[in-house]
Amino acid sequence: MPPQSRPAPDLHDAATPGTDNGDAPAHRTLIVAVFVVASCGLAYELIAGALASYLLGESVLRFSTIIGTYLFAMGVGSHLSRYVDERALLARFIDIELMVGLLGGLSACTLFLIYAWAGAPFRVSLYAVVLLIGVLVGMEIPLVMRLLHQRKQAFEALVSRVLTFDYLGALAVSLLFPLVFAPLLGLARTAVVFGLLNAGIGLWLAQRYRSELPQARALMMRGWIVLAVLLAALVWAQKLTDQAEGSLYGDTVVYRETTPFQRIVLTRFQDDTRLYLNGNLQFSTRDEHRYHEALVHPALAALPRARRVLILGGGDGFAAREVLKYPQIEQVTLIELDPAMTRLFRDQDGLAALNAYSLRDPRVRTINADAAQWLESAADPAWDLIIADFPDPSHYALGKLYAVPMYRLMQHHLAAGGLIVVQSTSPWYAPRAFWCVDATLREAGLHTAPYHVQVPSFGDWGYVIAGREAGFRPPTGFPPGLRHASAETVHEMFVFPPDMQAPAVEPNRLNTQMLVRYFEEDWSRQSR
Amino acid sequence: MRRRTFLLGAATLPLLHGCDLRPPGFGVSVLRPGMREGHLLRDAAALPAPSGELRCAVAILGSGVAGLSAAWRLAREGGRDVLLIDGPEPDGNAAASLLGGLACPRGAHYLPLPGPQAMHVRDILADLGILHGDPRARLPEYDEQALVHPAAERTLHQGRWHEGLVPQDTPDSAAAARRFNDAMAAFAARTGDDGRPAFTLPLAACSADTSLRALDRQNFAGWLDRAGHTDPSLRRYIDYAMRDDYGAPPEAVSAWAGIHYFTCRNGEAANAEAGAVLTWPQGLSALTCGLRSRLGDTRRLDGFAASITEQRDGVTVIVVQDALRCLTVRADHVICAMPLFAARRISPGLAERLPATALPTAAPWLVANVLLDGFPHERPGADLAWDNVIHGSRGLGYVVATHQLTRVARPAATVFTTYQAGWANPASARHWLAQAGDDDLLALALGDLDAAYEPRWRARIRAVELTLRAHAMAVPAPGFLGAPARQLREPAGRVLYAHADLSGLSLFEEASWWGDQAAREVLGRN
Repeated sequence: MPPQSRPAPDLHDAATPGTDNGDAPAHRTLIVAVFVVASCGLAYELIAGALASYLLGESVLRFSTIIGTYLFAMGVGSHLSRYVDERALLARFIDIELMVGLLGGLSACTLFLIYAWAGAPFRVSLYAVVLLIGVLVGMEIPLVMRLLHQRKQAFEALVSRVLTFDYLGALAVSLLFPLVFAPLLGLARTAVVFGLLNAGIGLWLAQRYRSELPQARALMMRGWIVLAVLLAALVWAQKLTDQAEGSLYGDTVVYRETTPFQRIVLTRFQDDTRLYLNGNLQFSTRDEHRYHEALVHPALAALPRARRVLILGGGDGFAAREVLKYPQIEQVTLIELDPAMTRLFRDQDGLAALNAYSLRDPRVRTINADAAQWLESAADPAWDLIIADFPDPSHYALGKLYAVPMYRLMQHHLAAGGLIVVQSTSPWYAPRAFWCVDATLREAGLHTAPYHVQVPSFGDWGYVIAGREAGFRPPTGFPPGLRHASAETVHEMFVFPPDMQAPAVEPNRLNTQMLVRYFEEDWSRQSR
Repeated sequence: MRRRTFLLGAATLPLLHGCDLRPPGFGVSVLRPGMREGHLLRDAAALPAPSGELRCAVAILGSGVAGLSAAWRLAREGGRDVLLIDGPEPDGNAAASLLGGLACPRGAHYLPLPGPQAMHVRDILADLGILHGDPRARLPEYDEQALVHPAAERTLHQGRWHEGLVPQDTPDSAAAARRFNDAMAAFAARTGDDGRPAFTLPLAACSADTSLRALDRQNFAGWLDRAGHTDPSLRRYIDYAMRDDYGAPPEAVSAWAGIHYFTCRNGEAANAEAGAVLTWPQGLSALTCGLRSRLGDTRRLDGFAASITEQRDGVTVIVVQDALRCLTVRADHVICAMPLFAARRISPGLAERLPATALPTAAPWLVANVLLDGFPHERPGADLAWDNVIHGSRGLGYVVATHQLTRVARPAATVFTTYQAGWANPASARHWLAQAGDDDLLALALGDLDAAYEPRWRARIRAVELTLRAHAMAVPAPGFLGAPARQLREPAGRVLYAHADLSGLSLFEEASWWGDQAAREVLGRN
């Protein structure tokens, strides 16, 4: 707080226009405000652009539309600034600073939350927030110029000085944002920090000029409230953008949720969206089509009369997307444990687009249940194809899903001539585990056809098709629009070169759990 | 959980961290099976006059493992006109509960693979579809659903979970464990001078070789001391094993019985390792319920026998159905499948043959089923197993009722079953258990879980069901092989006895053996 003895600035005994010696402190205050305000204004624009391209991809499109919207909004703000009453310029300017601080500071958090809130109109909210901040920021510079002009600043000097600091502020932020703030604080907290600066400037001005402000107390009160809200957000935003996790996944974490079942994390880097469950990569949008086309088409294309398909697991809806490429399919039942997964991939537009909105298809029935428990008591008619897309058998509880009783249970629910397909880990990295799944299906009395495909983000990945009858032949005709599966590539999938031949393995039994041992030993050998 | 709730929760979490938001209260129910009925008989309460009479060829009194095995054998071999009187607790020590929709045991919960002498058990398992193929095969195949899935056992020792039941944390204790195992393996391989195996199940098939039987004259603790098995870690494990299976510490157990425990499990399987055990979420109730489902036209009657009077041409049994209703049952033969202390109370004939001092010491059990809405946070080391033991604890650890299920994710709820048994003085323990309040019983029953988990684990409790078995099992004290109760093994008259008390070992194999024997005797007479 300035000393009481200091005289309050008086507009009328200010120094002569053209010189800024006499009232230098007053002018300097406003010039500093210009610098900060300009920095913050650009920061919000950059944050919105970065957020949009992280969450939605297509960064060129996002950045240019965000910048366009923002500049347009600033123009609108500039125009609106004319209507601000000359006598209340300073008070309105302070109000605008507080509003920009609050809105801009919370913008990234809010947009993260809206994005996380599956089904909320993220795009509309994004551009609305950008528009609103733009309008407010657009009013700032014209108002500062008018304030300085009131204080008898010569117009020529005024324009050049204000614009100099405006551009200097922009330069500072455009360098600091990508190099310091975003990596160090993350988007959400960076926004809050700039919000604090805006609100701080507002509060500082209110304090500095409290004698000429008719409602200084109310203004200051508002300022402190905004400051408190932002400080709280700073603490909370830390939770939202936990840096440790961000660096764990490499790419920017765009969504995370801890459900009663697992930790769901979505990351995005440019156009690649990745899903991690409990830290394990489930898919990368760059190559998931290879995994899911191989999971579905070799079996389903061989079943021209298939009408009913059961998917155990696969809450991302990708397997369902592939199944729906067959027009004769009448019903797809998808048993996914975690309601958060199916909600995310059904209701969240960006993610639902990835699975071609398969979970919204009327032919798809989604049941949130434990697939093993559900199958034990299922009374549904038999299925033509059962797709077992369970997590890898990395521990005993999961190993049971790959044991003889589970395959007998699946067989019990299989229609005449139907097929089972089981994702079976990597025949390259975990050969004994892969061939153990094959041996277990045979132990359950089924005939098998093991195959594999290259999925760059996973490596060589394996599956086993099983059915009651022997003599499975890889199909040659496939539905249109497949990106990888074709007569040639599918034929190739069933070929195991000499360096990938089946080792001698025991089948996986509930009480011995050989599969878990093979899996652990094989993979630990890889990571050596 | 809705995302909004989650976010709100996440936002307020730091503020509330450390506070326990849940009310401390959860439902506690205490069951004392047989206590009301037993005390009614003990206090010779006046019974109403019988309001009716039932006639049958064979009346089976009690529907525990012995009674059901007898009924099953009779039904299987064409025994006709059989009446099964349930007794105070259907299924006896093999009873089960349903807590929060989850099956869990109220008593015995596993069965070792039956060996070559336990054909009576293999027959039952084959009939129930648990043993596949020929029960007489050298290596039968068992239903893998019932074989214990890994991880089977772990022990908490020095703040860390270790796989298995014997912590071998020092070279000394590892060597001691090896030496003990070798000694037991030598006993297991022995054959008596009568050509019969030294130690097997059932007890009736064990050798009568006097040099082996001499072990019955000393207590197990003394024998261990003299044989040099004194490693403290090993002894804690042996102590646990004795209290678990015999309801008493090694000091109170016959050395023969102690060695028998470590050598009798000689069952093998085509699809499991030697020493494997069978278990079900509901414990041995899976077997008793299986037996019940195969009793053909056997009639069942609720109620318990209040008196048995043997006449020249038959047996009269008074059956109490409730406080107001009694029935007279007249049977050609009675299979008395209840503990001997109870049989002695209602049968003047037996009381004459068997003085009260000749009864085996009965040890109490406290079984707690703890329903949890999720799995508590684990200490470091081995993952949660089926059987979890706290090394050196007075409790017998806990088993996980959902262990054998196949599930994609851990179930949202589970039941941990804790066992307390093996007090040095069974009579005073029984007295304490009888008068203890719910809080004291709870503190005792949850002791091992409190030791295994951080205090916050209790916030997961949704309900606790305590089952107090005052006379749960016979203790095979030194001299038990020559106990007077053995005379009841020889059928005399129209009342045949069938209970594990005839062996002095409270095991499924023994109870089932005597049920089977009694049924065969009745079948032979008709």
